Amino acid sequence: MIPELGHGAVIVGGLLAFYGAIAAAIAGRTGRTALLESAQHAALGVFGLVTFSMLLLVYAFLTFDFSVRYVALNTNLQTPYYYRITALWGALEGSIVLWAWMLALYTLIVILRHRHNARELYSWVLTTMLGVVAFFLLVMAVPAPPFERLSPIPANGRGLNPLLEDSGMITHPVALYLGFTGFTVPFAFAIAALATGRVGDRWITLTRRWTIVAWYFLSLGLLIGGWWSYHVLGWGGYWAWDPVENAAFMPWLTGTAFLHSVMIQERRRMLKLWNIGLVILTFALTLFGTFLTRSGVIASVHAFTQGSIGIFFLSFLSLVVLASLALLAWRWEALGAEGELDSVVSRESAFLLNNVLLVAATFTVFFGTVFPLLSEAVRGVKVSVGMPFFNSVNIPVFLSLIFLMGVGPLIAWRRASRDNLRRNFFWPVVAGVVSAAIFYAAGVRSTLAVLSLALTVFVTATVAVDYVRATRARLRMGESLLPAMGGLLVRHNRRYGGFAIHLGILVIAVGVTGSQAWSLHREATLKKGEAVELAGYKFQFDGLAAREASNHFVVESTFTVTNGKAHAEAMRPAKKFYPQEQSPIAHVDYRLGFMEDLYLVLGDFERDGSQATVKMQVNRMVSWIWIGGLVLTLGTVLAILPDRKKLA
Amino acid sequence: MSRKSLRWLLPAAALPILALLAYGFRVNHRDIPSPLVNRPAAPFVLTSYAGEPMSLEANKGRVVVVNFWASWCMPACYEEAPVLERNWRTYKDKGVVVLGVNIQDKPEAARKFIDQFSLTFPNALDPAGKVSIDYGVYGVPETFFIDARGRIRAKHAGAVTDTVFQREVDRLLAEPR
Amino acid sequence: MKGLPLKPKFVAGIAVLAMALAYMIYAGVTQSAVYFVTPSELQASPRTGKAYRLGGMVEKGSVSWKAASLDLTFTLTDGQAKVPVRHHGTAPDLFGEGRGAVVEGRWTSEGYFQATQILAKHSEEYKAPHDANSAGYKELMKSLRGEQK
Repeated sequence: MIPELGHGAVIVGGLLAFYGAIAAAIAGRTGRTALLESAQHAALGVFGLVTFSMLLLVYAFLTFDFSVRYVALNTNLQTPYYYRITALWGALEGSIVLWAWMLALYTLIVILRHRHNARELYSWVLTTMLGVVAFFLLVMAVPAPPFERLSPIPANGRGLNPLLEDSGMITHPVALYLGFTGFTVPFAFAIAALATGRVGDRWITLTRRWTIVAWYFLSLGLLIGGWWSYHVLGWGGYWAWDPVENAAFMPWLTGTAFLHSVMIQERRRMLKLWNIGLVILTFALTLFGTFLTRSGVIASVHAFTQGSIGIFFLSFLSLVVLASLALLAWRWEALGAEGELDSVVSRESAFLLNNVLLVAATFTVFFGTVFPLLSEAVRGVKVSVGMPFFNSVNIPVFLSLIFLMGVGPLIAWRRASRDNLRRNFFWPVVAGVVSAAIFYAAGVRSTLAVLSLALTVFVTATVAVDYVRATRARLRMGESLLPAMGGLLVRHNRRYGGFAIHLGILVIAVGVTGSQAWSLHREATLKKGEAVELAGYKFQFDGLAAREASNHFVVESTFTVTNGKAHAEAMRPAKKFYPQEQSPIAHVDYRLGFMEDLYLVLGDFERDGSQATVKMQVNRMVSWIWIGGLVLTLGTVLAILPDRKKLA
Repeated sequence: MSRKSLRWLLPAAALPILALLAYGFRVNHRDIPSPLVNRPAAPFVLTSYAGEPMSLEANKGRVVVVNFWASWCMPACYEEAPVLERNWRTYKDKGVVVLGVNIQDKPEAARKFIDQFSLTFPNALDPAGKVSIDYGVYGVPETFFIDARGRIRAKHAGAVTDTVFQREVDRLLAEPR
Repeated sequence: MKGLPLKPKFVAGIAVLAMALAYMIYAGVTQSAVYFVTPSELQASPRTGKAYRLGGMVEKGSVSWKAASLDLTFTLTDGQAKVPVRHHGTAPDLFGEGRGAVVEGRWTSEGYFQATQILAKHSEEYKAPHDANSAGYKELMKSLRGEQK
């Protein structure tokens, strides 16, 4: 009963979404408000139906309904109830359900927020949103039906991939998808702008907060993904330039570029073509990401299984890209700039350079990701490029971007005078250079590390210069310190939110620099009672123990860790054996610290517990990455606060 | 080319990239070569769930399809069970035999599986896993196509489809004995 | 074009950046390109010092692990050719005899493949079991529990 009901809801929802898109489009062409109302009702209906089918699927999970194939594959009788709920997005079909639901939700929010304030653009926005929803419902109806039956009904399900039984698994897809789907909204507005010819500021002003929120969730999703990789996968790293990681990173890069370039359009009425192109590219890259992870076109450790779904996605991607670019070409004339770039030394120029660099990084990541495909198509040779490629090209780009983070917000518009440059940058440059000398003197020998840290100091100093100067101005006007400082943040929340976000990125950059430059690792085989040293820590192997858990059993090792001064601590890296898995899954034990993380992975062991091989890592400053994420969150909240009209 | 039509370069530029992605469908990453192909199949004697002896030797002279499966293996084993049964019924009078080797399973669950799919070809439990080791079985399901002279000629990993089954078996049947 | 916001010097500047990027990409690719080969292809024309990704089946009986020195040796085969492989450190959990594996590394002049990384293949579609009730695991549990008395 449930599978049929769910499948029916999906089909009706898909048809309704398709109808709504058409109705809104006709309303856009002819101005018939009755059709627009109808489209809105259709969107409401779609949201209801998608929510209904999602809840049915959750119900099937909770009641162990193994007649539903998706439930049978992803849970079994031992799966704890919370993972039974989150298994909803644990594999391909369910991930599409989540995506479609988020799109439907966003569509509803767009309707509530914009049906009155985006008059001319509104119908086309609705068309685009419903069109995209319709596509994902089509995927749910045809190549990846979540309600497909399994016959005969198995006695027990297969179970969730144990690597997914983790808090990261619960949150990472949700954050990431909120980011991906969030970019549909600015894209829809851009299409509406092209369709109506109203390619001025309006669509940008309306989508400002949407873009920041989508960008934030994408950043959060990437960070949680890094955290998940770090504490679950057992290699001690947080980013591997894996095709699936790259697929999520590329829209982040272009989304960041877009966030900045729209400011140029708002201020100087330039880069209209560029902005629309960027948002189209960003949306296309989110589709490309889902295509990559589900089509099997590029081999990756993350990939879901393939099928005909790849063809659906590639077709839709092609349709979106070609149609959007055709619209862009059609409106070419209207997209001319009204301002001009006066000088290299200007804010416009800095932002433009920021964009060029981000697009360059995007291109690099894209090129490296599809290179295996390209080399096989062109030369018939299977080649891939690994981490060194991405790092060697992207690191200079990212360092330049950090430098620009310091320059952009302070440098004058149009043409910066010598005086302006001196006032804003003298002390930050001094701070940067002095700090470089200090780092070098303190023993940092890696050029990249010195450069990266010095640039961080430079950028931080520019933020400080700005904040101090603005606070001083308020103090001079008779305000006291704390209200002045707070008032600034509230009155200019966009600017200071932006600064805070930049600071968050800096903290992350420092964390990345520290972990890459100063982390240590070692592998050793220890007999019971033996110890080995790394970075001032002593790791002693004490023995093995075995125990059973709800759906697996565990071989746990115990290590006593001391570092001379503090008390001894026990760490227990383990191997978990799941009945449905080919091989054991390593359970990492780690201790997080501000400057250092301890990280142990159990390798091979003797069955009688007399000996074990262990991989040890002392990872430096990785926690800064997560802390940076926190700062990023605070900055985002500040940046999207509603505008306060009154003077503080 | 006039200035006006240069703008259409933009959508046109997207085409080669999309074409490259489409090319990706033709590329297959999943091939693990099996070193057992063209080698003699390891003999085995097991007792089927019906109580009869099931041996490879006894089927010399026939084309033998050996299928490794388990009752908990889904969805693949569920998909291929009807395929195997269907093709078994079609080919059994043509000198083809299908033998199912059930590995790492509980007899009750396996029997239930056999009943659910109404399988009529012989299925036997491989209690010590020795047969699966001899055949280098990495996962379930895996299917081996053995010619009339007892050599493994093809290995298929994953659910067997009608197309795969018939293609391999027809090829082997067409060979002179 | 009317309304182009960039003077020629900016276009030139961006072109320079583009060329620098192109060069860096080229250099990056040639330095870190890793060639996929099967054992047969490698044996046909092995080049020392070139980075390879070698894929094949781990030959049964060929795996030797010396825990004390962390030396792992095994043979990868594709049914026709065999390649001896050495690796320092434990293999990932998915690695095993009779299974597919991909190793990254270089061919040495001493006649073996030095692997810097082992990427064992994980199959989504079909899985071999570890039945918690089967003999092997019961015995493992017992021996480990027995250790604790």
